Amino acid sequence: MKKNLILIFSLLFIFSCSSVSVETVEDQKTKTVDITESSSRSFAVGESLDLGEPSVRIYFDYDEDQLKESSLSDLLGMSRIMRDNPTYTLMVEGHADERGSREYNLALSERRANAVKDFLSSSGVSPFNIEVVGYGEERPVELGSNEESWSKNRRAELFLLK
Amino acid sequence: MRTIFLLFIPFFLSSDLVLEITRGAEKQIKLGIIQTDFTELDATQIIDVIKNDLERTGEFILIPSTEMLSIPTSPDSVIHRDWLLLDADAIIFLTTEKLDKSIDIAYSIYDIRAEKIVLKKKIYGVPDGLRQSSHYVSDGIYKHYYGIEGVSSTKLMYVAKNDDIYRLIVSDADGFNEQTLLKSTQSIISPAWSPDAKDVAYVSFENNRAQVFTQNLETGTRKLILSSKFSVSAPAWSPDRKYIAFTSTMDGNSEIYIINLDTKKIERLTENSAIDTEPAWSTDGKKIIFTSDRSGSPQIYELDLRTKLKRRITTEGSYNARGSFIDKNNIIFIHRNSTNFNIATFNLQTRQLQVLTNTEFDESPCIAPNGNVIIYATKEQGYSMLAGVNISSNVGFKLPALYGELKEPAWSPFLR
Repeated sequence: MKKNLILIFSLLFIFSCSSVSVETVEDQKTKTVDITESSSRSFAVGESLDLGEPSVRIYFDYDEDQLKESSLSDLLGMSRIMRDNPTYTLMVEGHADERGSREYNLALSERRANAVKDFLSSSGVSPFNIEVVGYGEERPVELGSNEESWSKNRRAELFLLK
Repeated sequence: MRTIFLLFIPFFLSSDLVLEITRGAEKQIKLGIIQTDFTELDATQIIDVIKNDLERTGEFILIPSTEMLSIPTSPDSVIHRDWLLLDADAIIFLTTEKLDKSIDIAYSIYDIRAEKIVLKKKIYGVPDGLRQSSHYVSDGIYKHYYGIEGVSSTKLMYVAKNDDIYRLIVSDADGFNEQTLLKSTQSIISPAWSPDAKDVAYVSFENNRAQVFTQNLETGTRKLILSSKFSVSAPAWSPDRKYIAFTSTMDGNSEIYIINLDTKKIERLTENSAIDTEPAWSTDGKKIIFTSDRSGSPQIYELDLRTKLKRRITTEGSYNARGSFIDKNNIIFIHRNSTNFNIATFNLQTRQLQVLTNTEFDESPCIAPNGNVIIYATKEQGYSMLAGVNISSNVGFKLPALYGELKEPAWSPFLR
């Protein structure tokens, strides 16, 4: 499937036409891969569009992947739903605030998602029904550069896929 | 060639990068540039490129032709008093030679105080390569004065974000010849050049998780380096081009791996319950530095690829990440001491840490191939843009986007 996707993308090349491209040969040689076109959008944006609002948001402290006590009731509630409905899948997306390195934040966000997965599986939910993904600082819910925004962006979002 | 020149657009009109010097050099070299041939070719375009290249280093002042008291037609006819009055250090004499499909540029540096030519060089042109030839002249002049290779003839790669569209862009170091490599509705991070500058690697979230693609600049062909349902990120090409080091959670936790691009054989380099990420190769390819929070906070570690021994490098500060080598003995990284995230260097021998920036949210540091110019991403009034520091001269500059945001800069290797 992935190979097919690459094939599709590689068919979508268009020549770039920069206004200064009269000048060098390189310009005509470099090609733009555009994956914003509608034909590829279903692949490019895909499932995240269909997920809608998360069922639960769990928040974290700065540079931390430890679950907070205040998240306990939400997590236990989700655990009950998942145990009662073994056919459901839970998608856990981890996120980080904008500060520091993007790659470190990606790793940190994945650890946050995994912390949720570990808690739920230790509470009896099958780990095979939980998927995790990290988005680092790439998908903030708040754009401000202040603690109020950062605290909302350091989160894990839980989506129930029925 | 004539008609092509008529199509030229004034500087920066079509470019996303507008350079502003934020902190100048203490001593600047003052130059006049004069075209001495009277062929049909007007060298104004060449002179403009060179002027712009040199002035944007912050280490040169160019004398406008309108301010020149006399305009010599050759080194023999220089009226020295006129140039000493302007406090000029030298005159650059340019001669162009128009060939069938290309233009050669010969230049000489005439030192006013020594009253003689101190450097004479010729750049052989390639078809449609006049701007690039002009950049080579700039780099030659730069090297003459500072003993360091100039980087005007290199390229920059960066991510531009406008209206929720991400574009991975490659441009000349002066912002010209902007080429979009990838246009996506999803984030693109961690762009990296192959050592021969023919390919790039980057992380794209287009399939709703971090994946590393390589892309050939000439053909646009994209390849996924590794198909995985887990995240793959932080690509770094080995100096011999054979391997890409990367981070993946394929074994359950962020670990560092290298993949042989020919055999696709993967080797795992770290095994640890903490975050290990952001691998960067030493210049000789024998070591990798990486970020790990195994001590409780992110710090830079070094891994010897032969012995597999790891040792911690940074100890100062609560946050040290995204390290890369400047040269054999120096690394550059993001450093947090109190509240700000800044760019710092560390000498592996003297163990001296030096903070180079003073804004709040500096990230993604990258070193130019001459080892002397750092470019990084920073924030001003909520918008991300690029900024830089010249290590030897301490000149600071910024490159705000004309619209939208710029981030994740990656300087190309030398293209010669």
